[in-house]
Amino acid sequence: MLLELRKNSNFVCRKVVTVSSLVTTLTETLRYKGAIGQWSWVLHRITGLGVLFFFILHIIDTSWSVFYPELYEKAIAIYQTPLFTLGEFVLVACVVYHAFNGLRIGVLDYNPRWWRFQQRAAVWVLVATVVLLIPVFLLMLGHVIKYYGSNPTVLPLSEVLAEQLPFVIGIGAGIVAAFIFAVFAGLILGNKEKAVVGGISKGSKLERFWWSYMRMSGLLIIPLVFGHLAVMHVVQGVFDLTVAGTSIPGVTATVTQLGAGEYLGNAINDTGTAVEFVGERWNYLVLSVAIWRFYDFALLFLAGVHGFNGLRYVLTDYTAKSVLLRRTATYACIIGAVVVIGVGGAALAGTITNTSVKMAEKARIALVGEIQSHGGDEQEEATNESATEETSTESTDN
Amino acid sequence: MDITFRIRRYNPEAGGKAKPYWQEFELKDVEPTNRVLEMLHRVKWEQDGTLSFRRSCSSGICGSDAMRINGRNMLACKVLVRDVVTGAKNTIQVEPILGLPVLKDLIVDMEPFFAHYREVMPYFINNDPVPANGRERLQSQEDRDIFDDTTNCILCAACTTSCPSFWANGKYVGPAAIVQAHRFIFDSRDQGWKDRLAVLSEPNGVWRCRTIYNCTPACPRHIEVTRAIGEVKLAIQRGKREGIIDPATIPSKFHG
Repeated sequence: MLLELRKNSNFVCRKVVTVSSLVTTLTETLRYKGAIGQWSWVLHRITGLGVLFFFILHIIDTSWSVFYPELYEKAIAIYQTPLFTLGEFVLVACVVYHAFNGLRIGVLDYNPRWWRFQQRAAVWVLVATVVLLIPVFLLMLGHVIKYYGSNPTVLPLSEVLAEQLPFVIGIGAGIVAAFIFAVFAGLILGNKEKAVVGGISKGSKLERFWWSYMRMSGLLIIPLVFGHLAVMHVVQGVFDLTVAGTSIPGVTATVTQLGAGEYLGNAINDTGTAVEFVGERWNYLVLSVAIWRFYDFALLFLAGVHGFNGLRYVLTDYTAKSVLLRRTATYACIIGAVVVIGVGGAALAGTITNTSVKMAEKARIALVGEIQSHGGDEQEEATNESATEETSTESTDN
Repeated sequence: MDITFRIRRYNPEAGGKAKPYWQEFELKDVEPTNRVLEMLHRVKWEQDGTLSFRRSCSSGICGSDAMRINGRNMLACKVLVRDVVTGAKNTIQVEPILGLPVLKDLIVDMEPFFAHYREVMPYFINNDPVPANGRERLQSQEDRDIFDDTTNCILCAACTTSCPSFWANGKYVGPAAIVQAHRFIFDSRDQGWKDRLAVLSEPNGVWRCRTIYNCTPACPRHIEVTRAIGEVKLAIQRGKREGIIDPATIPSKFHG
């Protein structure tokens, strides 16, 4: 009798589409009146995805400073357009919120008995984010006003968007590759799901590791990323990368006098190229250790793995119904992490020479000329063009 | 006071394209101290006999009438009209709990929920011979206190169906099953705790919990649900159950 009822109810429930569809999950998250913790979680996911998205672009772009110096100059010119200027503010806000909220989650996860403070903590996370962002945004705004006030030559938006196309294609290719892998995995392993949870099980050591990794790596990433943002976005903005004669933060001169056609080693961006900026930093040795390379690699590795595992969390949460899609999501995250960390790591292991800087310098001059001939801006005088060959005179002052 | 009841209806027998819809009922002479369940009764008895919902004891013990009331999971029998009616609009919105298949109106299929419950082996496991005197297995008051909070669960599913992870993924074992596992894992007399921890360390076990804290306020028994989940996570991380719960921090609401 009961069995009959069970069968009937199963028959009915299969016709109802109210459960666990992606759309329902997303809309009901907005409709359910959860407390602040629910909104913290929503923000945590959005900010995490936002940071990861920029991270992917940024690592690939930066690797060009080693592999394709000309392209890197263009990438930085793109970073100096209004779209990316706006994006930079969003990025910094995302990083700060994600960091503070991650700290809150980590502390509460390791101290479950403090759950009573979670709501207050969530409010404090918001307050701390805003409080930190006010001076940071003011400093960043200073750079923005100074830069745009000088009527700079700016790449047109259409070109900025067109330059992002390879990334879209690359991400798409990664997803297709992941899908193909998932199909093959299905052929080999089958698309049947194991028992939901339970049966005789040893448990997943891997998931246990990832849970700890997310919290521990987060703790390490926070000082690294705050330091990185402070140096690259707040103290010296992205606009300063292409101003000739600027001193490079975090680097002191290892050479006092440079020969003709040499640029690296004096802690000054003689050519006003982004490649030289990166080269000065990465070639800087303290006790014959390239400290900035290690710093950048630590951040690259920790944040890359953290970010792509976070992406896996998000994607697999919403693809539980289909083994194929869940495998695709997991493989896409693995491919993404391997490619981004691999490319970034290869760049960090590479060398930037005076030749690279010279190539970048030529590319930069060509680029500025190109933008001006496009009529990108009426201002004819390029701020950087003039500072091309007068490097040796500036190299001594510090 | 007058109340507008906004109820999510669904009739599976209404033909091929039966769809859930909202229906409103006006109720007069409602006391602020009436329970929401009584108002549902009034709708059913006075206005529309086809309205379907579960209830058994009507006193917050059986856990039959968990539903989403004004956007939040609660027991209809434990919540008063004045607790959910706020401001000028005297509207109470009632809908079924989310994440389980709706059978009719406010009734959901609880089977997936109970399947997860069974997965954690929610029963006492001890293979030692019974004590020589044939009496119960003794335990100190401190050892009993450690899992006292999670003994209060009535399996109403309010916590599990308030969890965004569970909405997204019905395979996630869910807060209620973890609370039930917690009750045995931290029982000093129980010998099955390692097996339960293994079950819960599966990918769809405790790791799907994102520490969102929706489950804690949803519990009509005031169980510290997210805390219990956190303690299970730590027990899995450390591979032991000792030293995870500090007896001094145990909620004292049921004894002194």
